[in-house]
Amino acid sequence: MATEQQEHLKIEELQQLSPDQIEVMAGRDRENLEGWIPALATEAEVKDAFEKAFDYRGDVTLTLKSGEVVEGYIYDRRQGSTLENSLVRVMPSKGEDRSRRSIPYSEIAALNFSGRDTAAGKTFEAWVKKYWEKKAAGEKNIQIEPEKLD
Amino acid sequence: MAIPVSQAWTVATYVIKQKLAGRKRYPLVLMLEPLFRCNLACAGCGKIQYPAHILKAELTPEECFKAVEECGVPMVSIPGGEPLLHPKMPEIVQGLIDRKKYVYMCTNALLLKEKLHLFKPSKYLSFSVHVDGEKEHHDFGVCREGGHDIAMEGVRAAVAAGFRVTTNTTLFDGADPNSVRRHFDQLMEAGVDSMMISPGYTYDKAPDQKHFLGRARSRKLFRALLSNRKKRWQFNANPIFLEFLMGKRELTCTPWGMPTFSIFGWQKPCYLLQDGYADTFQELLDEVDWANYGTESGNPRCANCMVHSGYEASGVNYTFGSLKGLIATAKAMFGGLYEDPDAQKLLNDWKPTNHGQLVQIGSGILSAESERVNHSESLAVGD
Repeated sequence: MATEQQEHLKIEELQQLSPDQIEVMAGRDRENLEGWIPALATEAEVKDAFEKAFDYRGDVTLTLKSGEVVEGYIYDRRQGSTLENSLVRVMPSKGEDRSRRSIPYSEIAALNFSGRDTAAGKTFEAWVKKYWEKKAAGEKNIQIEPEKLD
Repeated sequence: MAIPVSQAWTVATYVIKQKLAGRKRYPLVLMLEPLFRCNLACAGCGKIQYPAHILKAELTPEECFKAVEECGVPMVSIPGGEPLLHPKMPEIVQGLIDRKKYVYMCTNALLLKEKLHLFKPSKYLSFSVHVDGEKEHHDFGVCREGGHDIAMEGVRAAVAAGFRVTTNTTLFDGADPNSVRRHFDQLMEAGVDSMMISPGYTYDKAPDQKHFLGRARSRKLFRALLSNRKKRWQFNANPIFLEFLMGKRELTCTPWGMPTFSIFGWQKPCYLLQDGYADTFQELLDEVDWANYGTESGNPRCANCMVHSGYEASGVNYTFGSLKGLIATAKAMFGGLYEDPDAQKLLNDWKPTNHGQLVQIGSGILSAESERVNHSESLAVGD
């Protein structure tokens, strides 16, 4: 998901051009959200923060108004007309009960983008650069290894 | 024939039944993603970018069967992640075969040869091996030297063991149609039953954000690639969809045609966009505002999409939508070599581009040294 400004720019571009005239899509720029603790003071801030949390490819930490702390991956969000009927859906990463949870926005006191952004820093340019460096050094079987899961 | 007659018959009768029942939206292929983890980390794919506990999660066979029965499709494609990493994949595949579903098990084939004995050849099962082009092109696309050789070894082993084998080739900006045509020859020589082909999608989670094809470039590429085609090339694709890729036909997106089910549930709205999840297939159909998706919607995220998961079902819909559609499809299937002198000229004059090298390495146009210089000059520095 692009930021609101990026979406707006893309829509403006599309209004000027037909899709056939746009040769190579620009793709998106990433926001660096890792470690961010958004202010959840207004309804707009809350909704915006959870949109970003839904797009984020790392775990987050939710502190509920009850004092409970939930760490996990936000895989869905549903925005209603109020904070009471808006909710996030989480796959917890810790604890004995890992079953999915739906938590209304209104029950959440704090949000922390605490987990590593797994989509960050893995640019194609980085791969190409590394590839040619290794090639020049005479290395064989050059590859990007998927990260270890343990 | 690229697909068994029984499969063609099953799909045809299924679509006709849906139309007779007056169903406006019906799925054709379930994209079943039983896991996200993979043994590759390709530059054009962001599917594996999740925290470890998500990558370790997987659907149970029962969850897979329930999803298939829930949406009622005649065909199931199993992408991922790499499905062969799922410990119960043979059980899942057999369960789907027992339900008489035509299964395309998508794989990068790194593990195919060693796991082949866990499966039984069947007309219901095809291994759909992802091979993105000739050796160097594929290796660079999947960010692993030697990946092509292993994949082709898997292809040959599966063919020799009597399995149906199809291939899946995704093309990005910079693809060279002459090279891809040689690639088609190599695949047919290796004994594959048929080939799938599609442009890559502007996937906003992909590490590579600079090589997605726009529609005009896609059409040019596919016109050069698929015109004047060889008789022996067999494609596993609706011929109307291929004509759409070549710019010979307009189609509108059918985002519900290939719904996706994963560990998160039913993905809204389609395989490529991730706007949330529904808990049931009916909820997916009911809750998504479908008018917001497809090129004609003005949604910028759909602007350049021509991907098979959105448009293959549109081609099938066109085929069975009218007598004209049926005749056009039959004509394309039985006589469509698409002789086109202008396209031949396009192919002859094609200059491989050199602006990013997602697939263009060792093109033969540039020496290794000058390519290296071009690479380092054109690259933004990443870590």
